Amino acid sequence: MAGLAPRRGERLLAWGLLLPCLAAVCAFAFWPIVYSFVLSLHRIVLSLPGLGEPFVGLENYAQLLGEPTARASAATTLIFVAVSTLLEVGLGTLMALALDKSFRGRGLVRAAVLVPWAIPTVVASQMWRFILNDRYGLLNWLVFGDQVGAYRAWLAEPGWALAAVIGADVWKTSAFAALIVLAGLQTIPRELNEAAALDGAGPWQRFRHLTLPLVLPALAVALVFRTMDAFRVFDLVFVMTQGGPADATNVLQFYGYKKMFAEGFLGYGSAVSVMVFVMVLAVSLIYLRLVGRRLLRGDAR
Amino acid sequence: MVTLRSIVLLGLAALLAVAGAGCGQTDDAPDTIRLVAWKFNNPGLWRRLANRFEQAHPPLKVALEIGPHSSTAYHDLLSQKLKNRSSEVDVFLMDVVWPPEFASAGWALPLDQVMGPERQKIFIPAALQAATWQGQVYAAPLYLNAGVLYYRRDLLEAHGLPVPQTWPQLVSQAKQITARQKSGLAGYSGQFKQYEGLVCNMLELVWAAGGHVLGPQGKRCLLGEPPALKAVRFARDALIGGVAPRGVLAYQEPESLSLFAQGGAVFLRNWFYAWPILNDPQRSKVAGQVGLAPLPRFPDGQSASCLGGWLVGISAYSSKPDKALELVNFLTSEAAQRSLALEEGVAPARRALYQDPAVLKAHPHFARLLPILNQARTRPRTPLYPAVSQVMQGYFHRAISKTDSDLPALAEGAAQDVDRLLGLAGGN
Repeated sequence: MAGLAPRRGERLLAWGLLLPCLAAVCAFAFWPIVYSFVLSLHRIVLSLPGLGEPFVGLENYAQLLGEPTARASAATTLIFVAVSTLLEVGLGTLMALALDKSFRGRGLVRAAVLVPWAIPTVVASQMWRFILNDRYGLLNWLVFGDQVGAYRAWLAEPGWALAAVIGADVWKTSAFAALIVLAGLQTIPRELNEAAALDGAGPWQRFRHLTLPLVLPALAVALVFRTMDAFRVFDLVFVMTQGGPADATNVLQFYGYKKMFAEGFLGYGSAVSVMVFVMVLAVSLIYLRLVGRRLLRGDAR
Repeated sequence: MVTLRSIVLLGLAALLAVAGAGCGQTDDAPDTIRLVAWKFNNPGLWRRLANRFEQAHPPLKVALEIGPHSSTAYHDLLSQKLKNRSSEVDVFLMDVVWPPEFASAGWALPLDQVMGPERQKIFIPAALQAATWQGQVYAAPLYLNAGVLYYRRDLLEAHGLPVPQTWPQLVSQAKQITARQKSGLAGYSGQFKQYEGLVCNMLELVWAAGGHVLGPQGKRCLLGEPPALKAVRFARDALIGGVAPRGVLAYQEPESLSLFAQGGAVFLRNWFYAWPILNDPQRSKVAGQVGLAPLPRFPDGQSASCLGGWLVGISAYSSKPDKALELVNFLTSEAAQRSLALEEGVAPARRALYQDPAVLKAHPHFARLLPILNQARTRPRTPLYPAVSQVMQGYFHRAISKTDSDLPALAEGAAQDVDRLLGLAGGN
């Protein structure tokens, strides 16, 4: 195999091509993370420069853990992540199974399914705000018709508002999960299914013992992507509820944003974003350990 | 043939281009004044004013940057620039609640030398108070806003009712009218979503009940005291749980206004800006049937409006403060404020314009706004106002959105949070 070892020139070329990319990753991905961590160890209040920027160690983190609003935000974030991810991957799988069948106009349906995902989140959030409006919203009209007295203010009630934000996210990103799962489904050779059918396996048996194991790697990928993305939810909350009502949709990302940009607590806000980063990292590592290593290699049996 | 070197160079050049884009090109021409403004309802406004300034002050030019419409979002943008000591800002618009913060952070230049005592008298007192921090003036007032009560004149007349003077009176009138009108008519509409507008609506109630947010010298938070609790309980039980639709808990200005403009509410709390809209038959079903009055008080309290509006300040990092001052003086001059009033219908910060025949002819209702502005109050004055406001937003929304909320406990928690912030700021 010695003949395949890259020549010196090629190696240089490889590094030459890689270096700018590496430099960019360091400058725009790693450095901000490191810098956020450094900031999170200081007390920095923008409007009080007289305080200086003293190093306070883990004080911001201690405050974060003790703050009821922060704890509530963390709980809200976890609920959002768990519910939205499960629904999205579940719905996405159903959509993918449907789209994998051949039927007339399949191309059109595939494109249509992707439309919610293609709409910018800010636009979609605004649309949902209109749909959920208590007086003129479509949803009230659909549910209650002319019973104006029964109209609900969906975004004004804590439970419903969180459900609404989750619903909007599911509506928007299930198609993305579907796309990944569909790609997985398409790698399964048709002959396998046909052979199983000839052997007398019913649709459920074929799904349970053939399709599902083979599509598991794709499912795992969809799950990882959606979980990590769900932790970063921001724009939906920003447009639809601004964290309200009564802080019911105040996810960590939005909480940190308010601390940092609206209130000027740079150190504390950085601590919040570092926390989110650590949570995403932890979840990703758990995924990789539990399912990833085996499934991503593709020997899922 | 593409060589290795050229590829590497190309890559580096691309990287530098990306990195360089972040720095921006600063057009630091000596005669260009950079004005950073929020997005006015009528977006052409700033350019028109800038053009007039340029005509009157050659060779000065104004480079305009227009930020977001929302005051909070514009605050994020502007404070980012000032935090980074950006040379891209000479003159900026400042919300009336910002001067303590901007002064304390060292972002705004003190203007007392040009805003001497005799010039100060020119402006509405509350506006000047808003522009002042620890005895120094940091901005010149441009135009103002305050909360007022809009009511359906036709409905009150049909039921033989006077304009309500007190909050309980407003509630009982609203009940009386909605009970006899078509279903779906709401008694009251306002801004109760969890955002800055909620603070204004709630503080007006707290003040009207004789309460305060901060004690004397801004030392201690008084939200847990009886008058403030009484006001919050009233909002929860009589307004949200009574005559207002629950939807107001998700309303900002446009939603609350449209409910009233569509004929869906008897009373509306909103800012001055709503008057021309409500009287425009194209945009309002109740045009010509709307009245405007000071907000109600509680029987043992006083009517109080929350002061809103905009001031003009100069960046401490401006390289040409003298030229910047010319622009500030122009924007807040009597001529400019008169044309703002005439053309845009906004309420000027200069007192004399409320007796100006041309202005009164175009906007007769301005005569009624002056007494309201004279009674208007500023929100708590502290460099940490944005954080104090966040505490209040969370507290008020929690308190009024659940009918069984434990008000004293919630208020105590909020007061402690505010006290902690005041302690951080050194109890100014």
